[in-house]
Amino acid sequence: MSSLIGFLSLVFAIGINFYLLISKYIFKFKNLPFYLFIRLSSLLTLLSFFALMYAYIVSDFSNYNVFQNSHSNKPLIYKIAGTWGNHEGSMLLWMTVLSIYSFFFSFTKNIEDSFKRSTLLIQAFIHIMFGLFVVLTSNPFLVNSIFVEEGLGLNPILQDPGLAVHPPILYAGYVGYSIVFSISIAGLFQNRDDEWLHVAKKWSLISWTFLTGGIALGSYWAYYELGWGGWWFWDPVENVSLMPWIAGLALVHSLMMIRGEQALIRWIVFLSILCFSLSVFGTFLVRSGILTSVHSFAADSSRGIFILLIFFIITGFGFLVFLLKEPKKSYSLKLLLINKASALVINNILMVIATLTILLGTIYPIIIEVLNNKRISVGGPYFNSTVIPIMIPGFLLMSVAPILSWQTNKIKNSKLYVLAFIFLSVAVLIQSFYLTFNTWGFIGILIGSWIILASIIAIFFSYKTKLNIKFFQIINPHVAHIGVGIAIIGITCSSVLKSEFEFNLNEGDKFEIYDTKILFKKIETKNEINFQSLRAKFLFDLGNKEIKEIQAGKNYYPVSKMITSEAGILHQWYRDIYFILGDQKNDQWFVKVLINPFVSFIWLGVLIMIYSGLIAVTRR
Amino acid sequence: MKKIIILTPLIILFIISAFLIIYLLSDKNPNQPPSALLNKDVPNFESKSLYDENKIIKIENIKNKKILINFFASWCAPCKIEHPLLFEIKERYPDLYILGFNHKDKASDGINYLKKDGDPYNFVGVDSDGLIALEFGVFGLPETFLINENGKIIYKILGPITKDILKNEIEPLL
Repeated sequence: MSSLIGFLSLVFAIGINFYLLISKYIFKFKNLPFYLFIRLSSLLTLLSFFALMYAYIVSDFSNYNVFQNSHSNKPLIYKIAGTWGNHEGSMLLWMTVLSIYSFFFSFTKNIEDSFKRSTLLIQAFIHIMFGLFVVLTSNPFLVNSIFVEEGLGLNPILQDPGLAVHPPILYAGYVGYSIVFSISIAGLFQNRDDEWLHVAKKWSLISWTFLTGGIALGSYWAYYELGWGGWWFWDPVENVSLMPWIAGLALVHSLMMIRGEQALIRWIVFLSILCFSLSVFGTFLVRSGILTSVHSFAADSSRGIFILLIFFIITGFGFLVFLLKEPKKSYSLKLLLINKASALVINNILMVIATLTILLGTIYPIIIEVLNNKRISVGGPYFNSTVIPIMIPGFLLMSVAPILSWQTNKIKNSKLYVLAFIFLSVAVLIQSFYLTFNTWGFIGILIGSWIILASIIAIFFSYKTKLNIKFFQIINPHVAHIGVGIAIIGITCSSVLKSEFEFNLNEGDKFEIYDTKILFKKIETKNEINFQSLRAKFLFDLGNKEIKEIQAGKNYYPVSKMITSEAGILHQWYRDIYFILGDQKNDQWFVKVLINPFVSFIWLGVLIMIYSGLIAVTRR
Repeated sequence: MKKIIILTPLIILFIISAFLIIYLLSDKNPNQPPSALLNKDVPNFESKSLYDENKIIKIENIKNKKILINFFASWCAPCKIEHPLLFEIKERYPDLYILGFNHKDKASDGINYLKKDGDPYNFVGVDSDGLIALEFGVFGLPETFLINENGKIIYKILGPITKDILKNEIEPLL
């Protein structure tokens, strides 16, 4: 029953959007309750999504999709997460997020009515295309032709609280760019002046913030669930989320230039189209299964062709309008050797180059295979050696960019900055000789700490306003950059300075890592609701009679006959002690221990960036 | 000139879409590229053991056996995915000689990896400079070759072995 409601409301939602489009451009109806229809269509899409979720919650195995991807003895949270833990449900989630954005956008004030309508019509058009895709190729409401009492189960690797919320947040980022796309296309069509740029800025910040959160959740999950000790693998699916993230960062920065009355409107439009195109392209690459990845989704070429078509239409339409229509208003750019406008332009160029470099690396295997029928693979070494050097000048620029002036070449307190930089370089150099010297480690730590130091100096010197929301808004760019600096230090230390230890242990053995005493207490097996767990318990003597327990082990999921590894991590602010339990041989357990210094800095940096994204949204 | 610059995104879009559509329509399986070596003699190789430098394997030593050659590395994520299946193959086909090559990897990393996830190989050779992989025309990791008793390469797969591939494509050849 719920499946029927879900299917019908989805079809109605698509129908309403279709009706709105033809009534506007073919019949040219007037006095249509436009906003009512848009909101109704959004709510119907939402209803359809909740209907599917309900089917998952009550384990309605008469729905084929639920049968394929769920199981009755799963905790509630994973039944809910199962809704989007599969291709069909995930595409319905995509549409739902699109509808939610349209819904909220329809309440936006301060913009002209006809402009708002055009934007929402473009949204409706996107809704129709993806709606047809879902209904025709990926229907989550199909009826199960056989009667069953039990489902096949959700991929156990996805049964994790972090991963349960990862897709919705990631999609809130991806799909949020649709609004930015629609706004800028509507802006071109209506030939407006720059009023739409302010609206676009807010929505692009919202999308970027969500995308940041979504990517961070994904990589945090990879860190503790995959049990490989790393958090970023340059996997194609990670790359497709990174591309709109970097392009979106460029977009947010170029939109800042409006404040200096020096915006490059054409460039902003280009980036808006690029961001959403990359989002749809990412959806295509992931959902068509064209690339092999840790996200091993089912491949189906007919679906691939359909999304490729959608990608082609949306991107082609966007760039065609971009080609034919010219923005009405234009600003003049004042590019000096070192002023804010030139810093932002250089930063934008670097980010777009980085995005294109990642794009090239991601699709290169496909291009080569089509051309000469050979297969190559592009992995971490390519991306590390191309993308990182491209970003380094950008990072250096970032440390001082917020204090540069729009109009002149001068930097306030420039002597102080030079002194601080020299002092810091020496300090980092000395420090890195005390540890083992490593060029990349030196560069990373220097850049990271320099960004933090320069931003703190800027916060202290430039502003003496009262401590209110305005103050936080004003120092926000510096705060965001401090977040980046902290993340850079975390990334550098955790990849350059990490160390590994291995032990073959019996229960009750004691061992030491650096100066931490650890006891391998025992092995325990338990039966949980939907899996059996095997856990090795380790006790840490942290001194001062403080004892902590960490469990590392494996889970066995009988429904899908899969084993997942569960890393045990002792988080300390300056390092993570990361335990992986290996196999048992000759009564001894193989235990691998990784010391990952400053990993917490990565997550802290990301949290600061998210905070700063939220603060930026509040600023007009 | 300005028009040409603005036209660039559209041109790139056309090119990328063209490649993708050709790829999709050609029904290529991303895991199974064609190989020039198929049905040819297995290339000659000689390699030290990962665990013991004094142990050396040559192709002559293992002639007249069915051999599964698997290139892997500790840094290769998909290798970890297929790893458990190698144990399954080993258990079901004890006569099959499973030869692993630790490709472009630090020896210590390779050893750690096999300690942690287990070692399904009869012999693990070192290919730290990638020269053996070059002989085999390895494109990316993991890559697996099946060689028959006459020393001919009869099957090859790029990317992780999956249950389906094992059942439908490899097992009929064993």
